[in-house]
Amino acid sequence: MSQSKVGAVLIVGAGIAGIQSALDLAESGYLVHLVEESSAIGGTMPMLDKTFPTNDCSMCILSPKLVECGRHLNIRIYTNSQVTKTEGEAGNFKITIKQKARFIDTEKCTGCGSCAAVCPVKVNDEFNQGIGKRKAVFKQYSQAFPNAYAIDEKNCLFQKHGQIKGKDVCKKCVEACQAGAIDHAMEDKEINIEVGSMILNPGFKVFDASKLDYYGYGKIKSVVTSLEFERLLSASGPFDGHLVRPFDQKEPQKIAWIQCVGSRNAKIDKNYCSGVCCMYAIKEAVIAKEHSHIPVDTTIFYMDMRTHGKDFEKYYESAKNQHGVKFVRSRIYEVTEATDGSGDSVIRYSTEDGKISTEQYDLVVLSVGIEPGDSSKELAKILDLKVNKFGFAELEPLSGVNTSREGIFAAGAFSGPRDIPETVMQASAAAGAVASLLSEERGTLVSEKEYPAEMQVAGDVIRTGVFICHCGVNIGSIVDVPAVVAYAQTLPTVVYATEKIYACSQDAQASIKAIISEQKLNRVVVSSCSPRTHEPLFQETLKEAGLNAHLFDMANIRDQCSWVHMKEPELATEKAKDLTKLAIIRASMQIPVQPIFMDMNHAALVIGGGVAGMTSALSLADQGYEVHLLEKAEVLGGVARRFSTGFRGEDMKAFVADLISNVNKHPKIKLHIGAEIKEVGGFLGSFTTTLVDGEQIEHGVAIITIGGQEYKPKEYFYGQDDRVKTQLELDEALVGHDSKVSAAQNFVFIQCVGSRCEENPYCSRACCTKSVKLALKVKAKNPEANVFILYRDMRTYGYFEEDYELARRSGVIFVRFSENDKPVVTKEGETLVVSVKDHVLDRPLEIEADVICLAAAIIAPEDGKKLSKWFKVPLNDEGFFLEAHMKLRPVDFSTDGVFMAGLAHSPKNTEEVIAQAKAAAGRAGVALSKEMVESAGLNAFVDKRKCTACGTCEAVCSAKAVSVDLVNRVAVVNDALCKGCGACASSCRCGAINLRGCTNEQIAAMLNSF
Amino acid sequence: MTSIIDDIRKTARQLLTEEKVDVVIGYEKGSLPLKATPCFVRSPQDVDKLIWDETCENNLAAFVVKTPGKKAIIAKGCDSRALMVLIQENQIVRDDLYIIGVSCQGVIDQRKIEAETGEIIGATITDGKISVQGIECDKVFNFTEVKDITCQTCRYPNPVLEDVHIGGSIEVLQQATLFADVMVMENKSDSERKAYFKEQMGKCIRCYACRNVCPMCYCQECFVDCNSPKWLTGGVDSAENLLFQTGRALHLAGRCVECGACSRACPQGVDIRALSRKVNKDVKEMYNHESGLTEEVKPALNVYSADDPEAFLVKE
Amino acid sequence: MSMGECLVNTETKAFQPKIVAFLCNWCSYAGADLAGVGRFQYPATIRTIRVPCSGRINPLYILKAMANGADGVLISGCHPGDCHYMSGNYVARRKFALIDSLLKHVGLEEGRVSFSWVSAAEGVRFAEVVKGVTERVTALGPNKGVFKVEDGGGTND
Repeated sequence: MSQSKVGAVLIVGAGIAGIQSALDLAESGYLVHLVEESSAIGGTMPMLDKTFPTNDCSMCILSPKLVECGRHLNIRIYTNSQVTKTEGEAGNFKITIKQKARFIDTEKCTGCGSCAAVCPVKVNDEFNQGIGKRKAVFKQYSQAFPNAYAIDEKNCLFQKHGQIKGKDVCKKCVEACQAGAIDHAMEDKEINIEVGSMILNPGFKVFDASKLDYYGYGKIKSVVTSLEFERLLSASGPFDGHLVRPFDQKEPQKIAWIQCVGSRNAKIDKNYCSGVCCMYAIKEAVIAKEHSHIPVDTTIFYMDMRTHGKDFEKYYESAKNQHGVKFVRSRIYEVTEATDGSGDSVIRYSTEDGKISTEQYDLVVLSVGIEPGDSSKELAKILDLKVNKFGFAELEPLSGVNTSREGIFAAGAFSGPRDIPETVMQASAAAGAVASLLSEERGTLVSEKEYPAEMQVAGDVIRTGVFICHCGVNIGSIVDVPAVVAYAQTLPTVVYATEKIYACSQDAQASIKAIISEQKLNRVVVSSCSPRTHEPLFQETLKEAGLNAHLFDMANIRDQCSWVHMKEPELATEKAKDLTKLAIIRASMQIPVQPIFMDMNHAALVIGGGVAGMTSALSLADQGYEVHLLEKAEVLGGVARRFSTGFRGEDMKAFVADLISNVNKHPKIKLHIGAEIKEVGGFLGSFTTTLVDGEQIEHGVAIITIGGQEYKPKEYFYGQDDRVKTQLELDEALVGHDSKVSAAQNFVFIQCVGSRCEENPYCSRACCTKSVKLALKVKAKNPEANVFILYRDMRTYGYFEEDYELARRSGVIFVRFSENDKPVVTKEGETLVVSVKDHVLDRPLEIEADVICLAAAIIAPEDGKKLSKWFKVPLNDEGFFLEAHMKLRPVDFSTDGVFMAGLAHSPKNTEEVIAQAKAAAGRAGVALSKEMVESAGLNAFVDKRKCTACGTCEAVCSAKAVSVDLVNRVAVVNDALCKGCGACASSCRCGAINLRGCTNEQIAAMLNSF
Repeated sequence: MTSIIDDIRKTARQLLTEEKVDVVIGYEKGSLPLKATPCFVRSPQDVDKLIWDETCENNLAAFVVKTPGKKAIIAKGCDSRALMVLIQENQIVRDDLYIIGVSCQGVIDQRKIEAETGEIIGATITDGKISVQGIECDKVFNFTEVKDITCQTCRYPNPVLEDVHIGGSIEVLQQATLFADVMVMENKSDSERKAYFKEQMGKCIRCYACRNVCPMCYCQECFVDCNSPKWLTGGVDSAENLLFQTGRALHLAGRCVECGACSRACPQGVDIRALSRKVNKDVKEMYNHESGLTEEVKPALNVYSADDPEAFLVKE
Repeated sequence: MSMGECLVNTETKAFQPKIVAFLCNWCSYAGADLAGVGRFQYPATIRTIRVPCSGRINPLYILKAMANGADGVLISGCHPGDCHYMSGNYVARRKFALIDSLLKHVGLEEGRVSFSWVSAAEGVRFAEVVKGVTERVTALGPNKGVFKVEDGGGTND
């Protein structure tokens, strides 16, 4: 008898991965238990200053998620907690959690900080990487959730000493706490829960650089780690974002980064690439230049620049060319302290040509690698999971997220180094995998949020409250925030105005709620950052305070003011005042708007039947949704049908055949093979896709997985001489025992053909590893073969570094060339000769090649433009689909209900394609899990008195939402279809049709203020 | 002309007698010389009031919208174009309308006469000659000398939509250059144009006669009268007048049928056409659109094309 | 309510124009945000009114902005084909072309009212557009144009 499963999930680790998984699952009908070892959720991301490649402020993009996760009704958060025991199996796990005493009641604590103010114990602040101090009672960072302090029992005097001679030691915090939140008698708790599945994202720790003493870390004060440097840059860091050396507060003018500290180092068993350090070093160098008001000289010492992610190469190029960051390909011998007493560091290094130099720097930043944390190792042990030799969890091949145990999934750095988008992708993929496993239990354990009854404001005197945010120093250091507050107080309808350090923080939200009630506010204005990211957060606060969410407006005084007028504080302040005034005018004229509910079609359309499409389709079908899988070709499989082996040696032919068979036999998947789209209409919840053959598919969401293409080289005799092959062709020839290849003795691989060039200014990511794999294959078949790989930077990130090392040990010869000095292939008679300049020997090299393998770029899909038009989703300059947010929404489009995965998004390997495809299915599943589609209700509306039924509105409405009722001679808006663009309203000569939230009256009133 | 009038009356009588329509909208002799006035004939006995000559200057389409029931209308070329747009814009039900089409030679611009004779006391029209008794002098004019400027360049004197045609049709003048008048204005310097419009707008007293005679101005509430939001202050100065006239011209974009009624109705002689003609020229040049010619071609601003010109964009 | 009159001080300070910027939410506003994220500096001259789509921009808004004494108007939407609402900017484009032409015809100085398409990915360009518009409006000086109503033109006070 099969036991029924439990519709709840355990998520271990509340970094960005845990938060994303938790939100995805809680939003789609599962109860989430989120266990976090530290006293607050957030993980590593809050410590970072900015994130690459968009330079988004890490805290800014994360904090709405922290708040959303923190206040989600179906996410139970256990901080200071660890999983100590598990039993059971997929579908039914019993978990024991040990929650350490916090000594502070999070329900009572207001986060005011009076306890910390009186606490006499100062210790190194871990959140600031030990730069700066915190008290024994502390909060990790200002936006932390829960917004409550915690007592560190190892350092608290009372916890350490209790009573001495019958008298309590210290306990000053208890006296100071007005809320009565402190309880020194609190004990550790054991909590038992039952869940159907688990997602593990315990994160990582950074390499301890003091283990490699030649870098001088721990001995020389001017040597810091990259994470410490993040804190130096951060506005919320120990020096408020003022870039100084921690030990003497001197502003560094010359900073060096040393790459691969604790990465790519076989001697210390770290023979993997941490993948993220090249990008973060570039970012830190660029931001350092930006932050400092004196010119800063920045140099990055590296082995290979590995900027293989989406838009990373462009970031690298702009750092080099626009920002003047210097890049030195080198080997570091040692870092020593300068003898001049300056506290500076001296780097001794050799460049590629063997020349040894020394250079003195004010500050040296060690780009430390990623390794498994102690608790990750512990967790793997408790759960009896397979780990690799570096201690990272080992994932099942080509699964993206499956650990060695069924029902237990992993995301983020638990299974190896990963950047944020990859982590978020895996988090959504793991959530999707859980949703597949527990599809029958969806909705069984969740409850719905109830808001207080909405206050009726019609007819009331308008009372506007205004909150002006400092955003740390982001706004406050440029805009005179108190002056804006004072100005706001003088404006009509404003009854209250104040400033907030971080308006988005949990405590500020609570305070806004309290002020709404105290001041009887019925309109709220927040002047802070972009409404595009933060409007929902503040609107939620209004709802919780019993106000309709639309009695609100925001002024963007950061992204569109302080950040862009850094040199003109006075004018920025004037502008901030004006923008605040405009928001006050708009808000004061807002009226309550109620949401509108529309039907949700619970079927999905997946476009493209390659590995990505099939994976997405299977995941969604397993989640219980009907899936239409569309493939243009006559067969499923896409480009993967041409692969023989995966990057971890998997049999790709068998894998693809298996996928095809699973897709074919799944009862929920309807295949449309050889099918092409004619047109697409509709929106989230009710798309209609018409095929060329006339068939119409109704669906609620769509996933675009149309793959990419292999670049057809125009160079190196490709297409003219069949000894010149692309990687795919060489692989096929090797598998097919092509006699020409078998007999060949000299193989030359040329990297970056059609990548990292003017035509395609991006890295195709997979080709370095692919060439290494092919070279090893050639060597395995014919150990005597001479194999050369001509490369620009070897980008064998992650565990592929081992393959790179193996190839070198196997005698594959790697020769670097530079972009301006590409290899040349000539034909002398029938002989193909490759010439390249060897940078190490500094002389030209000529190789007679029997086979030339070109690492041809992965380029954007040819149908991208069509789909972009049909689904109204954007492409980037290179023709790949552009996600809603590079970091935190890697598979979503900004258009609701449309998702993407695979090569159509950017080049990547099959394992990564699978993870992304599962992520897209996970995200699409969140949308499909809703009974109805909810629209905010900011729609067009008609004043019947004024309407003349002329039909102009009907003519210009692309959503077909407006029609003229000729009997009553009035235009009628279909709220389900209206998207709120307002084209009707601007075309209406009579002023009869208008747009909620953006009425003619509001705009005119705003214009009146000029 | 006499036979046309007879035919109009005959048709009107027949329509009313057979109760095909409730009313015939046409022209009757006005109380002032050389001024016909719109009339609404509801019984067969009254059809002899109807006239047809060069004084029939109103665009009768303007009266159709507000006249309930089944109606017949005497329509010149421009009236018929207006009717076409009004049908496209759901203002008229085609089945309720009987169009008596008459080709139009053009109408008289009284201002041209008054410029020479002073206020007109009496006048008669015979065979294209207009004998005027003026307060200052008497004079006989050739019709072509005093033809309204709109009619001089009219390209659609024959109705584009009609149920019956009365009289012959008129040969359309081939023009070497369309919108030559607009081009003259365009070729002036910025400051000359600015000064010209300032002067013209200075004359406007915002009596809204232009709007009231316009068949396309059928809004329940004109933007100038709107209280919430108030687009204009309500004051009368040349800037506000220009805002009104420009706003109106934009509301007519792709809809104006160039009847010239607005300019003729203006008691101050404001060159209102200078705005609407410019928009009409742009609409024609940018979108190859002329309003009210066929039912299929929709008003220019109700449609778009992916390759519409966008020379107006900034250069950055 | 009238915006910071103190800013036009012809004797001591350079003229700082105030330019109303109507930005569509999905492209140009996002592009402006991106300019912020990239810290691409531009003059503090624009006062942004966020609208869902360039298709929302009623021609009367432009006239009213001019009447009320804004020194310039910048209107920016998604590039043709990129409209979040499919055709809002196409519908708007016809209006914009006609307004632009008519305003110049009646004597409004070239450069007072500007139109552009800026995508969500064009942060640098957004900054460039604002710089360009600001330069042109600054060169024209304060709005004393054909639509400027002498008493300030505020109509709802």
